[in-house]
Amino acid sequence: MFDLDIAIEMWLKQLRKHRAFDDGEIREMELHLRDHIDDLMSDGIVAQEAFEQAVSEFGEIPVMAQEEFRTQKRRFSIKSLLFSTMLNNYTKTSLRRLLKHPVSSVINILGIAIAIGICVLVYSFGYWIEKTDQHHENKDNVYLTTAFINRNGKMQQWGISPRPLGEMMKDDFHQIDNICRVKEQNVVIKLEDKVFNEKTTLVDPSYLEMFTFPLEKGYPSSLTDNSSIILSAEMAKKYFGENDPIGEDLLLIVSGEETKLFKVTGVAEEFPSTHAIDFDFLVNYQNSSWAIPNYDQDDWTQTIGATLVQVKDPEDLEVVKAGMEKYKVLQNEAMEDWKVADFKFEPLATLYQNSPDINKTISSRHYKTNKMAHSILTILAIFMLALASVNYINISIATSAKRLKEIALRKTIGANRMMLIFQHLVENILTTVLALVLGMAFGKFILVPWFEYQNGYSSGFHFLDVNLWLYLGAVMLVTALISGLYPSLYISSFQAVNIFRGKIKFGKGNLVTRGLLGFQLILSGILIVCAIMFTQNSVYLQERSWGYQPNSVLHAEVDDFTMYDKLRNKIQQYPNVELVSGGSDHIGVHKSLKVLKKQDKQYEISSIAVDANYLELMGVEVLAGRDFMKSPTADKFSIIVNETFMNQLSLANPIDEEFEIDTAKYTIVGVAKDFHFNSFSSEIEPIIFMLVAEDKYNSLAFKVAKGTEMESLQNLKNEWASLFPETPFRGGLQGDVWGEYFSSLEWHGEFWRMIAYVTVFMAALGLFGLISLNVSGRVKEFSIKKVLGARVSHLGKNIMKDYMWLFTISIILGAPISYYLVEFFFDTVYTYHVPSNFGSVLMSGIILIVVLWTVVSILLVNVAKSNPVNGLKEE
Amino acid sequence: MISKNLTAASTKPIILGILKQGNSYGYLIIKKIKELSGGKMKYSDGMLYPVLHRLEKDGLIVSKWVMEDDSVRPRKYYEITEAGKQELAQEQAQWSQVNSVLDAIWNVKPSKN
Repeated sequence: MFDLDIAIEMWLKQLRKHRAFDDGEIREMELHLRDHIDDLMSDGIVAQEAFEQAVSEFGEIPVMAQEEFRTQKRRFSIKSLLFSTMLNNYTKTSLRRLLKHPVSSVINILGIAIAIGICVLVYSFGYWIEKTDQHHENKDNVYLTTAFINRNGKMQQWGISPRPLGEMMKDDFHQIDNICRVKEQNVVIKLEDKVFNEKTTLVDPSYLEMFTFPLEKGYPSSLTDNSSIILSAEMAKKYFGENDPIGEDLLLIVSGEETKLFKVTGVAEEFPSTHAIDFDFLVNYQNSSWAIPNYDQDDWTQTIGATLVQVKDPEDLEVVKAGMEKYKVLQNEAMEDWKVADFKFEPLATLYQNSPDINKTISSRHYKTNKMAHSILTILAIFMLALASVNYINISIATSAKRLKEIALRKTIGANRMMLIFQHLVENILTTVLALVLGMAFGKFILVPWFEYQNGYSSGFHFLDVNLWLYLGAVMLVTALISGLYPSLYISSFQAVNIFRGKIKFGKGNLVTRGLLGFQLILSGILIVCAIMFTQNSVYLQERSWGYQPNSVLHAEVDDFTMYDKLRNKIQQYPNVELVSGGSDHIGVHKSLKVLKKQDKQYEISSIAVDANYLELMGVEVLAGRDFMKSPTADKFSIIVNETFMNQLSLANPIDEEFEIDTAKYTIVGVAKDFHFNSFSSEIEPIIFMLVAEDKYNSLAFKVAKGTEMESLQNLKNEWASLFPETPFRGGLQGDVWGEYFSSLEWHGEFWRMIAYVTVFMAALGLFGLISLNVSGRVKEFSIKKVLGARVSHLGKNIMKDYMWLFTISIILGAPISYYLVEFFFDTVYTYHVPSNFGSVLMSGIILIVVLWTVVSILLVNVAKSNPVNGLKEE
Repeated sequence: MISKNLTAASTKPIILGILKQGNSYGYLIIKKIKELSGGKMKYSDGMLYPVLHRLEKDGLIVSKWVMEDDSVRPRKYYEITEAGKQELAQEQAQWSQVNSVLDAIWNVKPSKN
């Protein structure tokens, strides 16, 4: 059956195929045809005939299209012509080429995609760092009061400030809009039968005006009430789950006895993922008089966590600065040891950046390390892009051998050099765009989530960020240009005549290709050495001696001696407990600062105040002199110092040296071997041990028989629960004190191993691409050799020979470079690390050679399998 | 039958002439031409459109889509512009000149030899 509509549609299709007409024009002609058919049919002609007649009268479509093109050619500018026909043609050719060489294309695209994925990671990490605490609307008007204090001859900036400062400033300066005092307080929070150790923040009600922490529920003004408490979203969830916490009561306990009931009047919205300043619980600052025993508002010897000021205009601050002198006087009269040299106001906007230089700020101090990690990642991303580009350059040059005729033909029919370069760049951009899409997906959905999960942060970056696109656009353009320019210049430079004559033969002897491959090998080598070193390092540090014996030691933190005594009595009854010790400090958990005076000199030194069993229990070795005597009074004024103390104070014979501490004279009785008080990320500092009165006890440590640690921990927890049901357990195995530190080391190893796998993979891809092209260009040669009786191993040697030299030179050059570079890198990142070793360098060389060997073997299998007849038949 | 070349050359003044008499659309224009020439001018209908588009591009005519009340289909109507009218006048003058030249030649009787 003839269907008119279908017939017309077919005819239109033919019309569209010519692309001469736009939609409006096609519609016009369709209506023409329909009018004509209608007229014919109304004369009594049947549909099919009418259609055929109308079509035939309408005429030949190609002729019309050509005529229309003639019209269009005059219509379009040169630019639009370039884009409509030329670019179209280039894209088409490029796509065809990509599909024709799937292996090379996949290698190119995959390599660049991986590099771009790492770029996305770098961006998201940088975004997280730079956006931190930038969400506060008043960030340019709110300042943290910091003080410069001369300590041991060094100026230090501190974020804490004297207790009365805020109130006085508020009265003295009308320029100050708002003042907020911030003090953190450890509390126990009880809800029904649950108890938790928490940190609450005592603040003036202005806190919620100065910082932008919107409340999800409740009102900020409720903070003016002394028994109100505002929860963070996280805490609301912890205590009340999905229930509405507003109006619920929480019992706060300080120092083990003082209790007060607070009513929940607000819940903050989830903090942005990019924040450094936050809180768990907010209560009015007035509660200080409840939380702190013998609270005296005018006591200049006491400090609070932060005093924040808000001014309308940053210039108003100049007046305030000029008027700070009188506080200095007050402060310095009150505290001889804490002389303020100067006050400085740090803007909230840059507080996070500056806080690495400020002691005890309300912001986090991670900026510097994060920034460093960011730089390392950036370098890594550049390395990866370089590797991918090198792969790309080498493969395009190698493949160009196969397209010499195409190039020659293009040249003969009139393409100039620019056109050839352009064609190549279009191809390149197409590859990069494909890689970009793949790389973005890889970065966003695999790399970034993995990295953030491992590091416990969330950058919250998203694809709608304009800067991300600018950044990726730039990355892409640079990559496309760098990786595309040289090959396109190279390829386009050939003379067509020489190509046709067969004068140009290549694939083998290109110096640049070899240089680049060598460069790539060295880069891969460096990254492999890094990975090996990081892995070695995490093992090394895990096995590194702490300088004492943390194994088999357990500890618990108590509030006072009563608690200590109760717990000790229970613990001692267990047969596997070998030794118990108490003190106000404990290695890895808590230490104090003491000022040691000798004649006119002052030293600020960390101190650990314990009982006489402590050194023996912790396995701290006494190198000279003696340990504390086991009598409660004998060594009341004795101290034991560590080696670093001895060295830094240049005491040749420290025993019997005297120092004044808190107006009493102390004598050094022993020198302890250096031990790590902190994790291995900080250097060992001078430290002293001293004895402490029982009423100052805050900590209990005990040693158990080897192998019974886990069992003892369970016993400890059980005893604790039955003795102090109101107090959450604090303590554990001594070995776990730095658990987080070691897991971060593990993570470093994991990350760099991943990078090394990727690098090796990329190097292998590049080699594979290059060698396979080399092999396929020599099919005839190999076939002839095979026919003449060459063995596969001989052919293998033949291929290897080309690369072996390159490998040898790269390894000889790369070994010292990677050795020193990695050593420098490790010195920057770690305080203590595994010594650089040629073992790792050697291993990376071996890995690279194994990769080469594997690639060649895979290709050889193909050569071996192929029938030489087919190889010779070609062309 | 009028030759292809002559047909092509005369298309422009014919279309402009038709449009001077009133706005029209493609199918109607071609119908009119066929009518007027009595089928002597052999056109393939489609060739009209590139010409129309070129005339429009040159600013001699303008077009707009119109939905007529009595029709189910919209139509693209062409209207002659002032420039078009001037162009038509020139064409007319040229054709007349050609015509008079031809007339003069053909009306001269061959001399006796």
